[in-house]
Amino acid sequence: MRILIATVKVPFVNGGAETHAAGLRNALIAAGHRAEIVSVPFKWYPPRRILDQMLACRLLDLTAAGDAPVDRLIGLKFPAYLIPHPNKVVWILHQHRQAYDLWQHPMGDLHAQPHGAEVRDAIHRADVELLPQARHLFANSRNVAARLKTYCGIEAAPLYHPPPDAPRFHSAQAEDFLYFPSRLNALKRQRLVVEALAHTRAKVRVRFSGPDIEAGYHEECMAVARRSKVHSRIEWLGTVSEQAKRDLYARCLGVLFPSLDEDYGYITLEAMLAHKPVIACADSGGPLEFVVHRETGLVCEPAPRDLAAAMDELWEDRDRARRWGEAGRQRYSDLRIDWGTVLERLLQ
Amino acid sequence: MKVLILTSGVPFIRGGAEILAGGLCDAVCAAGHQAEILTLPFQSCPPSRIPEQMLACRLLDVTETCSMRIDRVIGLKFPAYLVPHPRKVIWLLHQHRTAYELWNHPAAGDLIHYPDGPVVRDAIRLADRTFIPEARSIYTLSRNVTERLQRCSGIASEPLYNPPAGASLFYKSTPQDYFFFPSRINPVKRQWLVIQALALCREPVCVRFAGEADNEAQQAECAKAVRELRLSERVEWLGMVTEERKRDCYANSLGVVFPPVDEDYGYVTLEAMLSSKPVITCVDSGGPLEFVVDGQTGLVAGATPQALAEAMDALWGDRRRAATMGETGLQRYRDLKITWENVVEKLLC
Repeated sequence: MRILIATVKVPFVNGGAETHAAGLRNALIAAGHRAEIVSVPFKWYPPRRILDQMLACRLLDLTAAGDAPVDRLIGLKFPAYLIPHPNKVVWILHQHRQAYDLWQHPMGDLHAQPHGAEVRDAIHRADVELLPQARHLFANSRNVAARLKTYCGIEAAPLYHPPPDAPRFHSAQAEDFLYFPSRLNALKRQRLVVEALAHTRAKVRVRFSGPDIEAGYHEECMAVARRSKVHSRIEWLGTVSEQAKRDLYARCLGVLFPSLDEDYGYITLEAMLAHKPVIACADSGGPLEFVVHRETGLVCEPAPRDLAAAMDELWEDRDRARRWGEAGRQRYSDLRIDWGTVLERLLQ
Repeated sequence: MKVLILTSGVPFIRGGAEILAGGLCDAVCAAGHQAEILTLPFQSCPPSRIPEQMLACRLLDVTETCSMRIDRVIGLKFPAYLVPHPRKVIWLLHQHRTAYELWNHPAAGDLIHYPDGPVVRDAIRLADRTFIPEARSIYTLSRNVTERLQRCSGIASEPLYNPPAGASLFYKSTPQDYFFFPSRINPVKRQWLVIQALALCREPVCVRFAGEADNEAQQAECAKAVRELRLSERVEWLGMVTEERKRDCYANSLGVVFPPVDEDYGYVTLEAMLSSKPVITCVDSGGPLEFVVDGQTGLVAGATPQALAEAMDALWGDRRRAATMGETGLQRYRDLKITWENVVEKLLC
């Protein structure tokens, strides 16, 4: 089949969404299809620009490429999943969250902008009317499916996919640190971890890796660490290579992933692949689909003292931490998170 | 600087434009900037969808990304170069040619066959006239494209030449008894004209063709002409060759024959010059005429079998002159400063 993957590209930014699209393309090609990614640039401010870009997507034509038809379109991200096609399947990575769960939320700002409500309504209308035009609807996770159901009344089946290079993760003897790999920003909540360190009984150590993507956030976290005198227990590694990242997963005692309402979160899966327990928060979203409390990790309230208690638990009982990590690896296998399963369902 | 290269493409198809965009992206990065290519999908059939895709381009916003300024946008192809940006430059590869000089071309014309063709053609022309001048600077692939833009849209621009891929790897060697003609095999490149010319040569001229035919019928037609004119001893079809083999064929040739119809630019001419070989081209070949100086770096012949035959005979019979022309061609390439550094400097200035 000739298959196009429609997604959004924010120029000069690479994140999970790009990795996801590339992984899907590679899996399709490996299965003998011709597949390519079509990206539409997206800029969400000022809000009215969103309307223009939704219209732009509706005007594009991906029914054919040159003289030959495109057999299947797989839409991933708003507004690229609005591009029309008679054989479209949508696998929603996420909707435009500012118009939904982040509306009136401190992390969102659409509600505070001129014409915000008008644009939110237009996004709702487009999603409600146009998403059901797809032959099948899938969501990146149960969390994304639940949001689609809550806000748009539309059903979608969760469809999990593996993180990139899944077979290359490995495990090693646990050393004296918890690992938190993520881009540094408020949604990921590195700051919460720094605050928690001031409350741990044990001298818990944490290594952070990931690029700075929010001006001032890293400095803010470091300032908090210095004020509460925990800075010597923290290492900021910045951007690390994929190999170094896998190595850190392998050697850590456990993985911290307390971010806010994550859609999916490769980090949970990568930790499971490295046989490590995961600490997530009760409002972390995606990770909660995978972390089984007190079986493969810990789920705590998003407050410094609660997080500190969870970190102490792993730190003080290494043997139990190891067992939870092993159980996590087993759970990954049981969930059948592999590209073969993904393609079977997307192309059914 | 953050530099976004904007182009249009047909999914699943890679051609010269994609290679050029890749070369530009590498060169901008090599100059210490951040560069990324954004390829918007373009479907030209049915024509009624073209204005909608032009509108889509106008609706996109690439002025910033995550609150960071995109410092420069470089537009290459229609309709992607219509995307608005305050610091846009256009390096025009070509306009939508079937709305212009190919409108009523017997083989290439497409819009002309649709009832709404004229309306779409006029919309394309209006958009080009209105929006191309929004760019800060307008460069083109070649003088040929610059002249068309002036003639068709009344817009002034400057040609900006780029080197062929792997430019530093071309070399020269002792000439053997053949002319080289590397190109896709199709009526526009005019392999058939060369075959007819061979039948009229007085000297025992031989030609090696490299490249794939666009379709089997075209290959069969050429093969048939060779048989009928009893030229099989003097013609060799190499088919698709590796870049390395191609460079060897250039290096060992006596000269290069490149007589296409109104080529936009033509890397073949430049590759010949880099291999110190004279180029035989035709008066209506377009791009190659910007580089071939008749009688100094090659020969410009009339577009007839007889005229082309005379040109091939002339170089076949005077190897020393052919070698001198080749050397002069290489010198001319150097004088023209055809480098990516020069391209990047102009586009980011």
